[in-house]
Amino acid sequence: MNFKIRPAIKEDCKEISRMIMELAVYENMPDQVKIAHGELERDGFCENPFFECLVAEVPEEHKSKEGFTVVGYALYFYTYSTWKGPSIFLEDLYVMPEFRGNGIGKGLLCKVAEVGKKKQCVRLQLSVLDWNTPSRDFYAAKGAQDLTVTEGWHAIRFDGQSLDNLANEAAKI
Amino acid sequence: MDFSIRAANVEDCKDIARMIVELAEYEKKTEHVKVTQRDLEQDGFSKNPFFHGIVAEVPEQLRTKDGHTKIGYALYFYSYSSWAGRAVYMEDLYVMPEFRGKGIGKALMSKVAQLGLAAGCNQLNFTVLDWNQSSRDFYLSQGCFDITTSIGYHCMRCEGEALQHLAQP
Repeated sequence: MNFKIRPAIKEDCKEISRMIMELAVYENMPDQVKIAHGELERDGFCENPFFECLVAEVPEEHKSKEGFTVVGYALYFYTYSTWKGPSIFLEDLYVMPEFRGNGIGKGLLCKVAEVGKKKQCVRLQLSVLDWNTPSRDFYAAKGAQDLTVTEGWHAIRFDGQSLDNLANEAAKI
Repeated sequence: MDFSIRAANVEDCKDIARMIVELAEYEKKTEHVKVTQRDLEQDGFSKNPFFHGIVAEVPEQLRTKDGHTKIGYALYFYSYSSWAGRAVYMEDLYVMPEFRGKGIGKALMSKVAQLGLAAGCNQLNFTVLDWNQSSRDFYLSQGCFDITTSIGYHCMRCEGEALQHLAQP
């Protein structure tokens, strides 16, 4: 299938927001999505953006049944390993179901790795849900290691009230 | 105990580099540390830094036997959740063993949370090793949750040859 991968522009945020929701539905957590295209526009296209994004586009003649030509995206940001140096975190990788199996997912992943290489990033990291076997297999086939299984790393999070409570403690220092 | 928390500056990189190695030793991963003091200076204190740091300092009279007054640090950077928006990731949190149990670790982490909220962040994320019970207990007592255990997120990494291969145009 004919497709191209390019950096996202501000005008793509509506499509990216649509696909973020589709990915959340796939991951059985649609109620967790709290942001929409307005936040993406503000946070991804400001002077010091919080993230970067690539989109996959197909020509008009291959558009989806609803008429979309932007059919996949990869959202990532730069991180730092105090052991190894600059790294990239792939927050989302998504291809609309009807466009899968055409190398678009792999194309997006490789492009993110290439972007990272140009910035001297030494690692590409991401997280995947334990039940998501197709995705786990996809990443394992590309040489990713599962650090939760091999080294015992667990992802920890503070948000909502627990984050507010923690931050309030800082005022007492 | 009398201590202060402040933003790290480029002169702190020598002590931060020292403590990064101490933390790696604690995590049984000393051989993995490739970042040097110079890397920290370039990567953390240039125009577009990859990270930010805060340090915990004690007064001279409480310095360690080796003469250190910088006895803890937290290193963090801004990240993004496509569901929740702006987030902050805490890469390292460390307090030298002889200064633990005094609220310094909690103060460092609270400061990261406070800075994150001020920047409009909705999450503070980090990782911990499953065998590191004392750290896990500490974090859980502060009200966070383990999204690997509760939701099933696994941390994945591509590096070295596998990453080189992926990055080929």
